[in-house]
Amino acid sequence: MSDKDKSTDKSKRKFLFTIGGLSLIWVGGAAYPIARYLSPQAAPDPFGEDGRAVVEGIVPNEVVKPGMGKNGGYGNRGLIVFRHPDGKLRAFDSKCTHAGCNVAFEGDKIFCHCHGGTYNLEGKNIAGPPPRPLTELGVEEDENSIYVYRLPRDEDGEV
Amino acid sequence: MESLDKYPIPENAEQKLPSEDKVPGKISRMLLQRYPVWPIVDHLSEKVVPQHNHSVWYNIGGIALFFFVVQIITGVLLMIYYKPGAPWQSVQRIVMEVPFGNLIRSIHHWSANLMVLSLFIHMFSTFFMKAYRPPREGTWLTGLALLGVTLLFGFSGYLLPWDDLSFFATRVGMEEAEKAPLIGHYIGQLAKGGPDVSLDTLGRFYVLHVFVIPLVTMFIIGIHLFFVQVQGVSEPDSFRRLPKEKRKYHKFFTEFMFAEIPVWLVLAVLLVFLSAAWPRALMPEADPFAAAPEGIKPEWYFLSQFQLLKIFPGSLEFVGMMFLTLIPMLFLVTPFFDRSVPTDNRGRLVTKIGFLILLGLIVFTIWGGLS
Repeated sequence: MSDKDKSTDKSKRKFLFTIGGLSLIWVGGAAYPIARYLSPQAAPDPFGEDGRAVVEGIVPNEVVKPGMGKNGGYGNRGLIVFRHPDGKLRAFDSKCTHAGCNVAFEGDKIFCHCHGGTYNLEGKNIAGPPPRPLTELGVEEDENSIYVYRLPRDEDGEV
Repeated sequence: MESLDKYPIPENAEQKLPSEDKVPGKISRMLLQRYPVWPIVDHLSEKVVPQHNHSVWYNIGGIALFFFVVQIITGVLLMIYYKPGAPWQSVQRIVMEVPFGNLIRSIHHWSANLMVLSLFIHMFSTFFMKAYRPPREGTWLTGLALLGVTLLFGFSGYLLPWDDLSFFATRVGMEEAEKAPLIGHYIGQLAKGGPDVSLDTLGRFYVLHVFVIPLVTMFIIGIHLFFVQVQGVSEPDSFRRLPKEKRKYHKFFTEFMFAEIPVWLVLAVLLVFLSAAWPRALMPEADPFAAAPEGIKPEWYFLSQFQLLKIFPGSLEFVGMMFLTLIPMLFLVTPFFDRSVPTDNRGRLVTKIGFLILLGLIVFTIWGGLS
């Protein structure tokens, strides 16, 4: 190979590197907005400015007596609200801690139909695959509506 | 005007082509003068398929392709009425109002299941015939990729009717997938488009199901078939050992291909029969607030994986995950481990492991179905 060939070879390579580098920068620049566009949207906080959320799908007179309870929702999440035998209203996020199905209130226990997970009325996992208790929510009612609010973790379910 | 002399018709083409006075002969010569692809045509016309006791397995890939074509046709038809903004209502309309809508939806369902089944059969038959050995590693790897994208097809399509069964099955499936180490959580959130399965998730699954995955699949099928055409069909050791005069072959074009057409026709009848006898049900609309219905189970082709995860609960879950990662990895490296023709000790070991995996797959699928 002559010297002239070598030098054209070199400048050719330099040219390709420049083009390649510029293309990479361009691709990188395009990738950022696309990645942001595709990135998961944060869920809106179901609890409003006053720290509580209206329960949808359940009204107070559906949970009057002990043993009455129902599935409903708050924000875009599911929950169960029921009257505990001690007379207090209780609410739990209905997402099963095992595989994410919605649990059902069954009078004396809380049960998940997907894989047979069972919780007691305090939300504690007592049988089946769930690894953790359900997330308890603070709950209060007025004449027309039920409201839930986030419980501090250390209170461990005590309303 | 440029002259047509640029691409003269090759001599052996002149001998093989139909006579110049007839229409097919005229058309083929006209095309060859413009597109000099005779070497390709010649190569394909020479392609043969060996005839032996296990020849039936050569048909399964074609059968999977047939089901894929049915999926494209029925899928395009379903897209005409399906609306990702009102998923359940639009599927209900397809089922209840649109003429033959229920049939087309059910065929899409059955063809999907049979496509997955034929791909599993195709994979295990090529595995036990050791067709993955050099020089066919590329065919094996693209085949595994096709099985993978087909499972993604199944998973993404399952959510689209937006009934309570598909909603909670997808939620469980995503929950399990997110437990995968390192990237599991990120991929799960990205696929769902948020912390939970919602209509945002459906939008993503829809685009994946009707556009991205089909595009990728067709691209990989193209490569897979290209490899098969260039290298020809693999011959098992027992066939290779036969004296030359005892080795019989079919021509691929057109003997083998035409022989497959009646099989496709029978399968088409089977699809219509299955769809008419057991149409795909549409359950009540998904309600993210309601309790999950009973009988939430993934499609049968995910049952074995779920059963495997189920038997390692809690802190042992990573053991199940390890198996789920290890088994596909084993299939990926097989052609680089078992290379020898005729087969040797390594080859026999691979056969044994493959048999164990197949047995495990069947047992876990049945177990998962019953429990």
